[in-house]
Amino acid sequence: MTPAHLPIPPSLPQGAATMDGVVYPLTSLGGLQIRGSGTTRGAVTVRVLAENLEAVTSTLAGTPGLRLADMFAADDSPVTTLRLVWAHDLGYLVTETETETETGFDLEGGGYPPLSSIVPAAFVEECEIYEQFGIRPATGQALDRVMLPPHAAHNLPRLGHRSPQPPGGANAPHTVDGQAFEFPFGPVRQVGVESLYYGLVTSGEEVVDLYLLTWHKHRGVEWRLRGKTPREAAFLVERAEGLSAVAVGWAFSAAVEAALGIEPPPAAARTRAVALELERLYNHAAAMAALCQATGLAVGQAAAEIALERLLRVNAAAFGHRYLFGVVEPGGVSRAPDADALRRELPGACDELRRAAGALLSTNSFVDRLEACGILTGEQARRLGLVGPVARATGLPVDARRAGPYDEVPVTIVTAAAGDVLARFNVMIGEAAESVRLIDAFLDAGTRAGCTRLPVKGDGPGGTGGGSPPCTEKAGGGTGLGWAESPRGEALAWVALDEDGRIARARLRPGSVRNWRGFDDACRSRNVFTDIPIIEASFWLTVAGMAR
Amino acid sequence: MPFWFARGLRRGVVTTHYPARPDRSAALLPTPPAFRPRQLTRAAADRLVAVCPSGALSRPDDALIFDVGRCTACGRCAEAAPDAVTPSGEFELASTARSALVKKIPIYGETR
Amino acid sequence: MSPSQDTPGQDTPGQDLSQAARQLRDTIAVQFGRSLHIRTLDTGSCAVCEQEIRLLSAPHYDLHRLGFFFTPAPRHADLLLVTGPMVRAFGEAARKTYKAIPGPKVVMATGACALGGVYPADPFVHGNVGEVLPVDVWVPGCPPSPLALLQGLGVAVGRLAEKTPGLTFIAGQDIAGGAG
Repeated sequence: MTPAHLPIPPSLPQGAATMDGVVYPLTSLGGLQIRGSGTTRGAVTVRVLAENLEAVTSTLAGTPGLRLADMFAADDSPVTTLRLVWAHDLGYLVTETETETETGFDLEGGGYPPLSSIVPAAFVEECEIYEQFGIRPATGQALDRVMLPPHAAHNLPRLGHRSPQPPGGANAPHTVDGQAFEFPFGPVRQVGVESLYYGLVTSGEEVVDLYLLTWHKHRGVEWRLRGKTPREAAFLVERAEGLSAVAVGWAFSAAVEAALGIEPPPAAARTRAVALELERLYNHAAAMAALCQATGLAVGQAAAEIALERLLRVNAAAFGHRYLFGVVEPGGVSRAPDADALRRELPGACDELRRAAGALLSTNSFVDRLEACGILTGEQARRLGLVGPVARATGLPVDARRAGPYDEVPVTIVTAAAGDVLARFNVMIGEAAESVRLIDAFLDAGTRAGCTRLPVKGDGPGGTGGGSPPCTEKAGGGTGLGWAESPRGEALAWVALDEDGRIARARLRPGSVRNWRGFDDACRSRNVFTDIPIIEASFWLTVAGMAR
Repeated sequence: MPFWFARGLRRGVVTTHYPARPDRSAALLPTPPAFRPRQLTRAAADRLVAVCPSGALSRPDDALIFDVGRCTACGRCAEAAPDAVTPSGEFELASTARSALVKKIPIYGETR
Repeated sequence: MSPSQDTPGQDTPGQDLSQAARQLRDTIAVQFGRSLHIRTLDTGSCAVCEQEIRLLSAPHYDLHRLGFFFTPAPRHADLLLVTGPMVRAFGEAARKTYKAIPGPKVVMATGACALGGVYPADPFVHGNVGEVLPVDVWVPGCPPSPLALLQGLGVAVGRLAEKTPGLTFIAGQDIAGGAG
């Protein structure tokens, strides 16, 4: 079945033509301050008073076309500010609420209203906020551990100012009756894969339940970014989830640019888009190889790996690094692609990939293994706020490739309907073809290196005074939101800069953070546990992006 | 399966002969820097130390200490002092002694 | 036999190194010279080192032709290939994996993170695999490409000579850095 190719749907709520139009109906709830393009540039910001948070969140959750993209907190001592990021085709909306104020929430019963009861997509974020900031939703429901390991948590610094709180029930003990047992797997798993723990509840073959523990790789990236200049931080940001280095780096750089009120040169923005599509291509090839390995088709794996290696060499020829590290930076890009090399080498590599995909789709034993495996419904994807090929394979047309360079070169979103592994595979193949078209279009429009200089002390290209003269302007403290469509889904970043332009708070939300929560649902849909590696390959997430 | 077998034969062998023979694709790889001591002043060395995001450069006394093990070949030092820094072209860097990866680069640029 | 460990930044003082090193290399070559089984260990990497390691068994590189094999079972392994900055919370899992491998065994730390770069020591990470495990071979890179990994494996089994002791990283000298 061929995947559907849809143009970006103009799904506007009644009468809304801009984000302001989406937000206007909220004014009837009272107690809001709406700031046009807001303190958080890149998004419309709505300051919501604590007592209105529940009503506002309910209204937004019920607005068609709006999905929760992220929720996080920031330490603005003595208060903690809770922010929810909502995504719409027209743009992003950020609601800001101060908690722990004198007129704020009752902290004995909880810190803030039970948002995940209204928006199930917020549950993992509530757990993370509790670990880091010590405030919790007023449900009394057990929260899971997300980032901090049980045996070392007391030693680890938090992002918030409240003294460390041990999270409550860590993945509440399963009642396993006589027929099912819990099989602990990991964190050291099979060869060449990241460390990850599965608690697999099975009756022998079928997956009754599956929970994941990702804290073994928690490196505290957000904590480590504080106090760094944007350029210093960019080095660590692209290594938060290295397989999405371009996407996460772009989202972060865009957030910094929004906070400083600057924009990259248009040719640099197109360079970013070329790098992003190259990243998508090699990731989809790697996912194909992993699918073949999981299904035991060694010849298919070899074919996909040949394509993958060729694509990585194209990356090295075009941008000087197989995984495109060091290309995107705050203000623009550090290098232009070698357009001649790219035009020469890319078609052959993509052809290799296309033929491998075609051969796989004609191998019945392979296709049988993927069909009806790891099914997610559109309803599950919508409820959990999933992104990327995982969501698009259930029919949801979510894609963060809008604005910036995409104004001239719009993206055709590839979706499928079945929501199984085969659908995700088909979406990836469709997207690979679309990526080739986009790269050609951006190269034709012209790609160059270049950075808009950041009005930040000592952060010009060349570091402390090597290239351009050091900038003496001081940037006022600002906040900004940035986004990019990584191969595994929308990557978001939000930064708050201090008066010196250094990072006061950086929030990184790679695509993996949204999608791991859909993994157990996909595994539980009438699968046997040998299907788990196949489903994992079709999601193609990383543990590093979740644990950062 | 006969289809895959024939396909594989048609595709041919792509395997490298490395390490028996050099592999040309190595020329595409980013490599750690090599330094030019005569272009290196103490001020330039201090700028390089400040700009390295991975802690590979330090200057405890009158020489620049370069820890190849920490280098990510990001190129920021070359960008900061293009006269004094150039790609080394070396990617075969494995070492059984960690200390063999720490190199001392003299600073000869202070002539005036 | 457990190959000796070098503390980062220090040379072992006052021994007849050349004699001991030669004996060690001969022993390694005999034990591992024909085939070597590799177990991988991720202590907190960004996932890119793992992708390069997976490509070792891909057609372009094919480590099998050199007598190297991956094994998921630590009991069958001869070499532990470690990536990542050794997240402190992972230390116990790393030690258990190391102990589960019967001797003789070799530990190869790969990537700038594992060698002390990218992440300095702080409450979250050790920053250096050598803080927790006795490392025998260090392979720089971010990530080390499959070719660099093959060279590392060759050095680990004594089949390839190391180049780094002879490299100065001073441009224009005999051994390194004329490339420009």
